[in-house]
Amino acid sequence: MKLTTRQFKQTARAELNDARTQKFLQILPQRLSALRQAAYQSFTDADATHRFGHAIREEVIQRLPELLEDFEKNALANGAQIFWARDSAAANHYIASLAKAKGARYVTKGKSMVTEELGLNEALALEGIEAWETDLGEFIAQLLGKPPFHIVGPAINIAVEQIRDIFLQKGVLREPTLDPVALGKAARQFLRSKFRDLQMGITGVNMAVAATGTVINVENEGNIRLNKSSPRTLVCVMSLEKVVPTLTDALHMLRVLCRSATGQKAGAYLSFDSGPRRPGEIDGPEELHIVILDNGRSAMYADPHTREALRCIRCGACLNTCPVYGQVGGYPYGWAYSGPMGQVLTPALQGLTDTGDLVRACTLCHRCKIICPAGIDHPSLLLYYRHQDVQKNPRLGGRGAALGEWLGHTLFSLAGTRYGYWRLFTKLARLAANRQRRGDWIHGISAYTQGWFQSRDLPALPEKSFHERWEESKKAEDKR
Amino acid sequence: MKDSSINSREEILTRLKAAARAPVGPRPVLPPAREYALDAAQMQKLFVEQLKAQGGVAHSVSDSAALRAKLAEICRQEGISRAMAATDEVVETLDLKAWGAAAGVEIFLASDFPERNAYTQAVFDQVQAGITGADFAVAESGTLVLVHNSRQPRLISLAPLIHFAVVPVQRIVPTYEVALEKIFSAGSYPSQVSLITGPSMTADIQATPFRGMHGPQKLVVVIVETW
Ligand code: SF4
Repeated sequence: MKLTTRQFKQTARAELNDARTQKFLQILPQRLSALRQAAYQSFTDADATHRFGHAIREEVIQRLPELLEDFEKNALANGAQIFWARDSAAANHYIASLAKAKGARYVTKGKSMVTEELGLNEALALEGIEAWETDLGEFIAQLLGKPPFHIVGPAINIAVEQIRDIFLQKGVLREPTLDPVALGKAARQFLRSKFRDLQMGITGVNMAVAATGTVINVENEGNIRLNKSSPRTLVCVMSLEKVVPTLTDALHMLRVLCRSATGQKAGAYLSFDSGPRRPGEIDGPEELHIVILDNGRSAMYADPHTREALRCIRCGACLNTCPVYGQVGGYPYGWAYSGPMGQVLTPALQGLTDTGDLVRACTLCHRCKIICPAGIDHPSLLLYYRHQDVQKNPRLGGRGAALGEWLGHTLFSLAGTRYGYWRLFTKLARLAANRQRRGDWIHGISAYTQGWFQSRDLPALPEKSFHERWEESKKAEDKR
Repeated sequence: MKDSSINSREEILTRLKAAARAPVGPRPVLPPAREYALDAAQMQKLFVEQLKAQGGVAHSVSDSAALRAKLAEICRQEGISRAMAATDEVVETLDLKAWGAAAGVEIFLASDFPERNAYTQAVFDQVQAGITGADFAVAESGTLVLVHNSRQPRLISLAPLIHFAVVPVQRIVPTYEVALEKIFSAGSYPSQVSLITGPSMTADIQATPFRGMHGPQKLVVVIVETW
């Protein structure tokens, strides 16, 4: 998937003026947050459950290599095949070659962000293999060539008229209709023959259990189960942090994942696969291939700050609670991962060169940190990225500060650490500010500070500072 | 390709192991789930409530004779004339072929088909319903647990528009853990376990809910009180 995060500001501006985007942003995030809140009440102790989930993810992070080795050993024992991919090129090449070897003219896919990260559909297309998204929202987004708008509803903001038109154009729909249910049924019908005659299916992985070698997927539509049941070859792609120690841990995380994502206690379908079908089984894959993807994560792991982002379980709760996402929606984030989740992952995986605006598009309100079932401290991580950016961290592609910013801060620290300079600086600043006063308020000082004043006013400053008045009163006292 | 995987594996694991790591502390205290305190009747009630909340349909019948009658009644209502059945422990005892002959429902089994493709065509296109048992029914979320094996093919509970699941009452358990511990404590693991909560669902177009997106539009669970 092409990274378009560099255009964060332009896209955000366009989305702020898009009536449809704004309409959905006023409904969807709040509704999902409320559902999550309600669903958490079913726990004996919601806080303890939240903390326990953090501890599981903490353990995963600390024991990552050992857990991966265990997972591999047990998955192999179950009869699965493992492919370790250092980057997207290796993963895409493996999957495309496999599809060719199996004589598959097309493949179907379950919703998975990791294959979007890989740009797998495009890579398969180059090899002459069609890839069909089968999650309804992803299917629509794919036909329209749009990135996902929201992790739970990738195309929820798309107008029915637009869906009708693209369905008619692509032969999904015969009789025009604007009924969402009829449109959904048409997609079911269209994709059904694809599933029935399928040679190879591709899914992501929500969790991989180290102790049993099991891969787990969560969904509501049944398309992932069809991908795992109908074809003779199944490929499950997991980024390496998906592993969890035990089945019990997986169940705990599934409970918080489903509640955090959609407010359900459980998605309609949770499927647990331990190896390919066994002799005597009439359906299910003859071969189960599990691709373990690095794509920059082991490098990210080396830095204890960026490592924290590997805790993420992709629930989407942080999107729903984020005031920035709530204004601009999913498109500006410009890659497979949107919202605070994307803000902590994308810079680590893609570098800061293109993501400088992304790490600054945050008010540090801490709502994502509070809600995160994986225990990620997003605000601290964003501050870290900003710091590494101006410090020119070479591994993260930090760009250094702009000259004006550098100059400003250098002068400020010079003045701030020397008493005389500081008094002079505040005096001048006071004079400059008060020259612009209108009544009791200052609405702006110069063109340079316009941005700051866009959403703030300053009360008019007093003629004399506290220090000046203090000294004057002391002098007056001495005289007496 | 093999080499690429082996080299990447080495590279990845070496890098991960080289990183400085903190020891793992003890897990915080987690109070047990509420569902463990329920008796059998309460568990059944909760299971049914949760199943209905997720759009499933639940019936309770006294025994297998009543079950057969109930199935016939629903098939009549829904206009079902062809169904595919699993041959798991629960369903096998029902002799559904004979039942179907009387009830006017043609019953197919996976073993009726000479090979996989014919079976796949049939389960996708020729039958209107799938009939299965369930290994467990989990009260906490109204969830069915199906262990897939040669007697419980995957597509029967998935491809047809209606899924009938027969649940002997004693198979209702409080939590997922109880079910999965039993399943995974046997020496080798099943190729697949599905946890099914309600029919197939989506709300991807304009947030309009719609059942039967890819899987069944209706999930009908019949609980049998004496088995
Ligand atoms: S960062 Fe946390 S809240 Fe956001 S998607 Fe990941 S796990 Fe969920």
